[in-house]
Amino acid sequence: MSEKVEELEAREEYEMTILDRVSDRIIDAFASFINIFKKDWRRRNQSKIKEWKLMAYAMNRSPPALLGLFIVIIYIILGIFGPYMAPWSYDFFPVNYNFSTQLAPPGSTYFLNVTTIENGYIVHYTTNIHYLLGSDVYGRDVVSILLAGARTAFVLDIFIILIGPTIGIILGLISGYYGGKVDETIMRITDMFLAFPGLILAIALSAVLPTRIQNFLNAHTWAQTLMLKLFALHARDVNNLGKLLAVFVALVIVWWPGYARVSRGSTLTEKENLYVEAARAVGLPTRTILFRHILPNIIGPILVMITMDFGGVILTEAGLSFLGLGAVPPIPDWGNLINQGSQYFPQAWWLVAFPGIVIVTVVLGWNLLGDGLRDVLDPRTRRSLEFKLKKKSKGGESSA
Amino acid sequence: MVAGLGKFLVRRGLTFIPTLIGVTLIVFIIAYVIPANPVKAWAGGEKASQAAVEMIKKEYHLDQPWYDQYWFLVKGLFTNSLLDPLNQEPVFTNIGNRFIVTFQLALFAFLFVVIIGLPLGIISALKRNSATDMTLRILALIFISTPIYVIAYLFIWLFFLHWSTTTLAGIPPSPPHKITHVPVIDALLTLDWSNFVQQVERFWLPGFTLGIAAAGVLMRFTRNSFLEAYSRDSTLFLKAKGVPKGRLYRHVLKNALVPVITILALQFGGLLAGTPITETIFNLPGIGRYALQAIMYLDFPALIGVTFLYAIVFVTANLIADILYAIIDPRVRF
Repeated sequence: MSEKVEELEAREEYEMTILDRVSDRIIDAFASFINIFKKDWRRRNQSKIKEWKLMAYAMNRSPPALLGLFIVIIYIILGIFGPYMAPWSYDFFPVNYNFSTQLAPPGSTYFLNVTTIENGYIVHYTTNIHYLLGSDVYGRDVVSILLAGARTAFVLDIFIILIGPTIGIILGLISGYYGGKVDETIMRITDMFLAFPGLILAIALSAVLPTRIQNFLNAHTWAQTLMLKLFALHARDVNNLGKLLAVFVALVIVWWPGYARVSRGSTLTEKENLYVEAARAVGLPTRTILFRHILPNIIGPILVMITMDFGGVILTEAGLSFLGLGAVPPIPDWGNLINQGSQYFPQAWWLVAFPGIVIVTVVLGWNLLGDGLRDVLDPRTRRSLEFKLKKKSKGGESSA
Repeated sequence: MVAGLGKFLVRRGLTFIPTLIGVTLIVFIIAYVIPANPVKAWAGGEKASQAAVEMIKKEYHLDQPWYDQYWFLVKGLFTNSLLDPLNQEPVFTNIGNRFIVTFQLALFAFLFVVIIGLPLGIISALKRNSATDMTLRILALIFISTPIYVIAYLFIWLFFLHWSTTTLAGIPPSPPHKITHVPVIDALLTLDWSNFVQQVERFWLPGFTLGIAAAGVLMRFTRNSFLEAYSRDSTLFLKAKGVPKGRLYRHVLKNALVPVITILALQFGGLLAGTPITETIFNLPGIGRYALQAIMYLDFPALIGVTFLYAIVFVTANLIADILYAIIDPRVRF
């Protein structure tokens, strides 16, 4: 049966590059993966898979988007494995053993005479520490802190974007679909939050919340262990987690209203379509109509927004730690390095420059990817590309 | 053209009241959930005497139920009798002094936004899909992706330490004749040249730093808006008629600038509220830094005042954008 359908469909040949073949493979693999769980998924969603492949082709022809994707993939890899790649631990303070390692310039090497207590034994050893990108106030290697800080940024980034926009989208869908009093209430609350400058709200919350969160963490050991694992921190930093999580809560609260407004707007226009009425007439539950029918049709612009906000969260989070909120030493954080550097500027320029370059690169990567996605998700640009790519369909061949 | 506009304004204005009340409520809730006792901090730290603490508690109604506390704060705001516990001045007097600095900063930033964003956006659209366009688009994205706290230090290093084209200490006195109360405009109006130069020297770099991200946003917005106007049927008609290119572009530009002007109103509001980090780095005593200080010292009367002002700014910027839109596109009025 399925073979017949494929035969009936006009054969189209595209001019393929290596990247196209790679993206085809990835999408096919993904489809087979879903097929394992949902029987017959691949056959029933053939057109969807084709559309995805076409999107990938469009993406493959946009160098900025590819650059963005490349940066984002590196960021994700560093976000997961960064702490384990760091040559020095984030809570190893060379300044305790050699005072001149404080604010060591890039490219310098220092001799350390280390005496520590490990497992109840006094351990004594000597080592050289090379500062490729300089050191911070505690003599810590900036490369190591940048690598370990990638985890802090990544975990906060992912979880804030997973939770904040989801709340916003759900509220927006409900508000737009039901209308009336529900809509009025939700939108007034959204307006309140939108009229409140986001940065000030985030600062206020991350200044006020830490004690509460710390109390909660101290009462729940499982939460403590989970957080330490997530942020790849050592057990003795448990008392700094409250501040870190305060930033998380603050940014989630700041990040939902924009999404609520956007998804409400799209829902308002989308629910007037006949297919929604048909779904209602058939008697589908509202939940299904909202999430299976309306959401997939309005998700395009929201996805672009989410991609760009991955960068936005990094900017804001680093901004908060620049102001001394959120991640405090010894927790590795990019914004905190800049905070230290600003106090010794311009002597310790490397503490501003290198984390700055890292932040700009990552945020630029997300923005480039978001920009590329916008073009890809726009059916008009995709269609025009489709015609450009088509080398020869059967009709074209005969007329030629 | 203005039919129905009055009605629209009234309806639009009524929705502000709950928003403003809500904003003060948010601050109040934040103040309420803090476990630390702010009164001790206000009275001068841990060593504060019990009598002083009791007195402050009574003064700010902190020994009363929550609705009474809230009513006291809001009433104090409107009658300007609410004192900032840290310097015993009325909150809005404090804010008024600082708002001038922030306003002037936002003004400079806005100038840079328009000077950089508009022309580059138009060039980008005119040369769409060329190498110039690609470069400008990436430049705009770099502007948006660069945080203030990074670019500020780059600029300080370049313009202050390297070329010394700016000053970073203190703020210049305002000119003696006050007309608008904004020093740089007063200096310009009264032709007080030396003061004008002083003001510009002090404010241009912070303004530039603050405005650069917004300039990137405006660049992208102008480009898209221009291309959107270009793809309209009216443009096709003019093209078919054989109108020369210069006149065609002038026509498109006129259509394209309509949404750009509305976004400018919103951007000015955003600049006014986006100053905390800039003011901290450049050492300017504006409301952004006042808000930061208020948060650090748990000075909630001051914070409630500042956020109230911010909310008014946001809501007004939104209103102006809406009015501009309603004048331009009568459909939204109904």
